[in-house]
Amino acid sequence: MSEKKPVKKKRLKTAEKLGELMKDYYTESAMIKSQKKPVAWLTSVAPVEICYAMDVFPVYPENYATICAARKLSAEFCEAAEAKGYSTDLCSYALNNFGSIYLNKGPFMGQGLPEPDLLIATEHACLSMAKWWEALSRHFDVPLYVVDSSLPVGEDVASYQIKYFADQLEELVEFIEKHTGNKFDMKRFKEVLRYSDQASSLFLEIAEFRKTVPSPVSPIEMFTNMFPLVTLAGKKEAVEFYKELRDEIKDLVDRGVPAVPNEKYRLIWDLFPVWYNLKLFPYMEEKGGVVVADVYATAFGGSIDISRPFEGLAERYVGNPLLSYGIGEYIELYKQMIKDFHVDGIVFHSNRSCRMASMGQYEVKQGIYNDLGIPGVVFETDFVDPRSYSDEQVKDTLDSFFEILETRK
Amino acid sequence: MTIMDFQEKYKNRHEIAKQWKKDGKKIFGYFCGYVPEELIGAAGIIPVRILGSLDKVSLADSHIQSFICAFGRSCLDQGLKGTYDYLDGIVVSKTCDIMRNMLGIWSRNIEVPFTFYIGAPSKRTEAARTCLIEEFKLLRSKLEEFTGKSIDDNSINQSIESYNQSRKLLKELYELRAEDNPPLSGSDFYHIVKAGFVTPKKEYNEMLLELKSKLTSSESSDGKGVRLLISGSTFEDVNILKMIEDSGGTVVSDDLCVGSRYFWDLIEPASDPIRALADRYQMRVTCPCKHPSDERLERILDEVKKHRVQGVISIVQKFCDTHLFEYPYMRDLLQENDMPFLYLETEDRLGEEGQFKTRVQAFLEMLR
Ligand code: SF4
Ligand code: SF4
Repeated sequence: MSEKKPVKKKRLKTAEKLGELMKDYYTESAMIKSQKKPVAWLTSVAPVEICYAMDVFPVYPENYATICAARKLSAEFCEAAEAKGYSTDLCSYALNNFGSIYLNKGPFMGQGLPEPDLLIATEHACLSMAKWWEALSRHFDVPLYVVDSSLPVGEDVASYQIKYFADQLEELVEFIEKHTGNKFDMKRFKEVLRYSDQASSLFLEIAEFRKTVPSPVSPIEMFTNMFPLVTLAGKKEAVEFYKELRDEIKDLVDRGVPAVPNEKYRLIWDLFPVWYNLKLFPYMEEKGGVVVADVYATAFGGSIDISRPFEGLAERYVGNPLLSYGIGEYIELYKQMIKDFHVDGIVFHSNRSCRMASMGQYEVKQGIYNDLGIPGVVFETDFVDPRSYSDEQVKDTLDSFFEILETRK
Repeated sequence: MTIMDFQEKYKNRHEIAKQWKKDGKKIFGYFCGYVPEELIGAAGIIPVRILGSLDKVSLADSHIQSFICAFGRSCLDQGLKGTYDYLDGIVVSKTCDIMRNMLGIWSRNIEVPFTFYIGAPSKRTEAARTCLIEEFKLLRSKLEEFTGKSIDDNSINQSIESYNQSRKLLKELYELRAEDNPPLSGSDFYHIVKAGFVTPKKEYNEMLLELKSKLTSSESSDGKGVRLLISGSTFEDVNILKMIEDSGGTVVSDDLCVGSRYFWDLIEPASDPIRALADRYQMRVTCPCKHPSDERLERILDEVKKHRVQGVISIVQKFCDTHLFEYPYMRDLLQENDMPFLYLETEDRLGEEGQFKTRVQAFLEMLR
């Protein structure tokens, strides 16, 4: 049952523009096949800059899954994937993707994503990505390039690790040239890198504004505004968008306008939103709990040394703290954030789909509590597949957490 | 030398290790078959594989979620219970996401003087191998620092030789299973392999040699069982294999992390032993954690043909992403090759509950 709700005006002017950017991107995506532009499907933290530099249209099944989840399509998609034999325990980003392929359905104009001509995966975020892309490569019978890595855990990235990654980026260029005929141009590449670098430093700047008490941006605004950072990394539009957003938020800071009235508890949100239920944020906000920090800004905000384009890009990707931090570093990072952002507590979303990122959460929570006495709470869901989600249970867990926060005030 | 002796070795492994400790020896643990044990051995340290147990997981639950594979949870649980307190070090290699996270959690909660994480690449390319060489070199120097003694090439070569001998012997025994009347059952073989994870190679090789000389002369099975290949990740519960055999199956071949994948490839001697090691560990028969994984499946098909396999049973840990991602492909591929296939997902304690029994029996019935 879908009730027609009156369209609510967005609080941020720039947010209207985000809608346009997304619409433009997905319209282009729907038409792309008729334009004869090669399409590549990318995992997150894959070097999209190379695609933009080489005129390859990048498609992100993961971002797409979040949209399918928000539009309540993901349960059907996951089921379709399971019917083909994919375990329900696999990452629901992947299940959602497989299902939308099998059913050729999606939230935009009713159809699924444009079929790929190329597949590009990394495996340094998690190993599932490489496995998932291998399956795609068999399904579509199109070439796959996996950018592999050797990763440190909790130690500095070694130069041979950067070299291994950077050399593969160069190999990826050859791979794209070979399969699309599109030529690589260094000047263009550097320009794309500059845009990507600018977008991410602007995003960081915006995230920094959240240090202001009360916070000028809400978590939903932050999470939805990540779209250009990931999908349009390397496009001028992304830079323009973030400039505007930055200015708008700076103005809010200057005028002392809070995102949420009655901000009482300032929170860190650990990892993914529950994509089909972003309403959890307003639920917490009613109780005075405002998420003011998360790791995404740190993770996607790394700068790129453009004078050494391939190494620079490799450093940015391999050095991504979200991926190369050990538990100890993670705790230190959060401790710093707690200080800088004046944080009262941490909400850990333990996501059944993502073993990679969820596996250390209990430790991080305990470690921070031991060191600083800052409490955390863990609640478990699947971020895309709503079938076993219990709103009541999650809210109960959050409620008791707020009781704890209350006694500490 | 009987299978019992091998079984005993595994069963008493913690007591034996504690005795080594009393004798002043150093012991390291590793989880996964991508850790170069040869190098640890060359440092004068005894490497043992950390495996789970059939005990109920209790302590691990407050450290990792229930959606982590039973193998990972059980290993950590054992560690938290103090079962592995004798370890002087742990070396982990990046394979699956669970392994990648394990060391950090382990070392925060369980005291262990030395840890090393090999960032191991996943591809089977020259560049990946070059990368792994760097990592092995670093491991070598850290080991030297730890023991205070240098590890010369000669000792690595010697270590390689004894590991190679182990692998060769295991392969010979493995091949015996493929005979018409295999003198060795699949579960027996599993006991043999597991003993190898916790027994110093010199001693283990002697055990294998002795067993081998006996086996050829001992009586064989009746050769009437349904010939099976077992594929999958690691599992602890040997009863699963036993149940399959008691139901009329004969395991003649495997693709298991705790089976042939562990010993399949030998190390080709090279002038630089580190390079020789990297060659094997980067290029060896892939587990699904590595990319691309087609070669693993090709090998399964080869084995199926070579050993006149009548059916394949896959035993996969619930929540083991890499194996789960590959399951539909494997199923289709076997189907295309007219190879009957049964898929069992375990949480490691299901074997004894007989849940699989009816399915296995029906499967074997169909093949008879
Ligand atoms: S299947 Fe392979 S990577 Fe996984 S634990 Fe076993 S040997 Fe290691
Ligand atoms: S069973 Fe699978 S998920 Fe668990 S440690 Fe082994 S390879 Fe990793």
